[in-house]
Amino acid sequence: MRDLMKGDEGGRRRWIVGGVAAIAALAAVVLLTREPSPPPTAGAPARVRLMTGTQYANSIEYMFGQSIDVGSAFAPLQRVDGLLALNASQVSVTMGQMQDFQRAAVSIASQVMSEGNLDRGVPSHRDALVPCKPAAATEPDDECAATFVRKAGRLLFRRPLSEEKVAELVDSAHRAADSLDDFYGGLQVVLESMLINPQFLLIEDTTEPDPDRRGHRRLDSYGLASRLSFLLWNSVPDEQLLDAAEKGELYTSRGRKREVERMLASPRLESGVRAFFDDMFGFDHFDSLSKDPQKYPTITGATLQDAREQTLRTVVDHLLHKNSDYRDLFTTRSTFISRALGPVYHVGAAPGWSPYELPADSGRAGILTHVSFLTLHAHPARSSATLRGKALREVFLCQKVPPPPPNVDFSAVEDPDSSLKTAREKLEVHRSNPACAGCHKITDPIGLTLENFDGAGQYRTTENGAQIDTSGELDGKSFNDAVGLGEALRNSPALPTCLVKQVYSYATGGSINNRDPMLEIFEQDFAESGYRVVDLLRDIAMSEALSRVVPAPPSKQQLAAPTEEIEILTVSNDTTAGGMIHETAHH
Amino acid sequence: MKHSIARQVGWRAFTAVATLAVAPAIACAADGTAPPNGRIAYVTTDMYWGVYQTPDGKAECPDGLNKYGPREVFAKLYPKGGTEIDTHLAREALKYYPEDSKDNFPMPEARGPIAIGLNLDGKVGPNDFTSPTGEKGIDNALYRVIGCSPQFRGPEGQFRLFGNRLVRQLTYNRSMIELTGVDSLQNDDSVQVTILRGLDPLLTDAGGDKIMPGGTQRVDNRFSKRFYNQLQGKIVNGVLETEAKDVSWPWAVFFGNTNEYRFRGMQFRLQLTEGRAEGLMAGYADVDSYYRTVMGWSTHHLSYGQLDPSGFWRKLWQHADGYPDKNGKMTAISSSVNIYMAQVYLDRGEPNITVSQSR
Repeated sequence: MRDLMKGDEGGRRRWIVGGVAAIAALAAVVLLTREPSPPPTAGAPARVRLMTGTQYANSIEYMFGQSIDVGSAFAPLQRVDGLLALNASQVSVTMGQMQDFQRAAVSIASQVMSEGNLDRGVPSHRDALVPCKPAAATEPDDECAATFVRKAGRLLFRRPLSEEKVAELVDSAHRAADSLDDFYGGLQVVLESMLINPQFLLIEDTTEPDPDRRGHRRLDSYGLASRLSFLLWNSVPDEQLLDAAEKGELYTSRGRKREVERMLASPRLESGVRAFFDDMFGFDHFDSLSKDPQKYPTITGATLQDAREQTLRTVVDHLLHKNSDYRDLFTTRSTFISRALGPVYHVGAAPGWSPYELPADSGRAGILTHVSFLTLHAHPARSSATLRGKALREVFLCQKVPPPPPNVDFSAVEDPDSSLKTAREKLEVHRSNPACAGCHKITDPIGLTLENFDGAGQYRTTENGAQIDTSGELDGKSFNDAVGLGEALRNSPALPTCLVKQVYSYATGGSINNRDPMLEIFEQDFAESGYRVVDLLRDIAMSEALSRVVPAPPSKQQLAAPTEEIEILTVSNDTTAGGMIHETAHH
Repeated sequence: MKHSIARQVGWRAFTAVATLAVAPAIACAADGTAPPNGRIAYVTTDMYWGVYQTPDGKAECPDGLNKYGPREVFAKLYPKGGTEIDTHLAREALKYYPEDSKDNFPMPEARGPIAIGLNLDGKVGPNDFTSPTGEKGIDNALYRVIGCSPQFRGPEGQFRLFGNRLVRQLTYNRSMIELTGVDSLQNDDSVQVTILRGLDPLLTDAGGDKIMPGGTQRVDNRFSKRFYNQLQGKIVNGVLETEAKDVSWPWAVFFGNTNEYRFRGMQFRLQLTEGRAEGLMAGYADVDSYYRTVMGWSTHHLSYGQLDPSGFWRKLWQHADGYPDKNGKMTAISSSVNIYMAQVYLDRGEPNITVSQSR
């Protein structure tokens, strides 16, 4: 019996020891495999951003389909720290912008509710986009109106509408339908009002107390859904992401991972990546770019439009379709060609866009030698080594090049009768002038290497009859031509560092301090992934820092006086939808 | 997400551009360096009938310009009007059955020793002209017929202004030549010239007016075979000269009217550069088809340039100087066209066919 008891005791002891060991092993596994907590200071301030024109168009396309025409482009936003998307902590909306939004809203609402005209081949949008049929098309139908308002409102405002808001909108629809004898006319009025509602037009970071950090806040689930969606898709969250937010799944590691992976695998990722690089490369300037038709007769509006598209296609193909090393964008010969670009690259092209390999002896490799970069950073009728060198440092390396002094003497560069034939000879004047040399010594050795391309991006070997010397150096690395410059830039440690900073800034909607502790972490992960941008996006999207809210430092905008009629002041941390925005009219 | 680009654009476009991209794209030098793969193509941008003009026209047209067009003839013939059938419709019918005409209204001919054109028969005859650059034996009997017709004279004659503009506007008129086997654009004793037709609009400059080199044309292999031809040629000091061959050349004036000119013994003489080919396309225009092609223009257009169909028919046959029929009647008239072309890349859209891909 005792033996038996002893046996039982021994067995129990073995069970206890075994259990403790198992728990210890499990704890070790959990500790070793869980994401390390970000540094305490990691995070970004809660902000309000005005939706960009592309975000607006992408959102409308997602909600109502491609056949709804958004209309002409909105007025450009102000660029902050190299990105348009960062005009954040205080948002001003001018009367002109409001008119743009109003015009677009009227047109979109009218198209969504259109009956169509089969004789003219115009389909009925309302049948597809209003999820119910009214009892009678000429009378109000509150139930159907509420169904539409709930569904559209949830997508437009990126969170469910309160029942009070639904009732208010249904009442508006009812009254308008009554007055117009048209149920869809009533919905049109309501949709119009939703499309100019700040809850749609402004991307706000709504917050809640952070359960893991006493006294701190984090984005609430819907705020996080919007942040993920605008980062990865440059558009509003879809139904599935909002469902995940509603269930609180974005704050479980499994739920967040599932949603992030789904978003990364979605074709909408291409829109997000295109939007980021279009912004980072400053391609919005193509909207107003033109070249002297006398000097560059083959450069038309179509050429410049396709130049922008060529680089974006190359970026998407390289980074997403091929999942290649970001740094190789500056050396790759793979690109795409169109009819309009054929004359510049001296090659024939099939209609539309086709893959194209830059010939080895073309003097071109990488996106620095694309017509986009070369035309964007040049004068209307001549190249500019200084502008190109400055752009390279600012856009790709996140370095600041100061503006020229106000009394700079441009006569040597602009004198057409000058005996100085090449840009190198002309810029020598600046490099030897102590007032100019500081900046020109950091821009010109890069920009002069791109002098093999004129202001229209066309290859040349001579300028004004003189042979062009394209030797140069980038931060101690020497090269002989643009291909060498691309390789030097590719191998520059500052290149991936800059991208990480820009993507993280873009994700959080505001400038990121160089000392932000997350930059080093993301950069290290980026390097370990082989500089795959999809992995960088995943890393940032999955990071706890993305959802953390930290106090905002005072910005320049906060100190500046408002310049236009309507100013939307900085946000509070009220979590109710729409409670963050205060409008002040200035007369 | 990871869509195949080749699948997106289609294998046809992919192979076309892959083929287009084979050769290095740097333009050949004007000093005679051969174009890549010895191939270069040009597309027609401007054409008009060769009419030598002095500023006031008195040297070549001492009797003045033609005054009797359809309106003037009508006024003379029917001063009191008449029934629709006997007047308007009768004259319109004569446009298509000019053999029935008994009109004999005066139609001044171009005189003088100088005309634009080539020595087509290799002889220097009493009726031959001298070129503006002094070359003897120029055969251009058509110049005698059209040289004093406002219709064909520049800059505002209908055939000069609209005919040329329509060469640019209508893709039907997208005639091209491709030179192959070119060792040098300066001197090469043997090159092949293939006449083709394209399918695309011309590449214009930023102003939309000037046609630029460097565009791409898809080659039409479906509807244009009858226009295709191959000529042997040579390049001497940058000038292409070809053998003479019978060719049909598309030159519509409206989309609904698919006109073409038939030349007997047509030959090119073109100054070549890496971006342009300019010069003459000369040969014997088949009189019957030439007349009917010109009559593709509506009567009101013929009226603007005082070109009366009956008189024109009579003069063409009167001056016909080549290709006699079995009865010795000349069936063709020597002629010359000023032609301007711009370098173009050819996209044949088919695998395994080499394309002209670079200048």
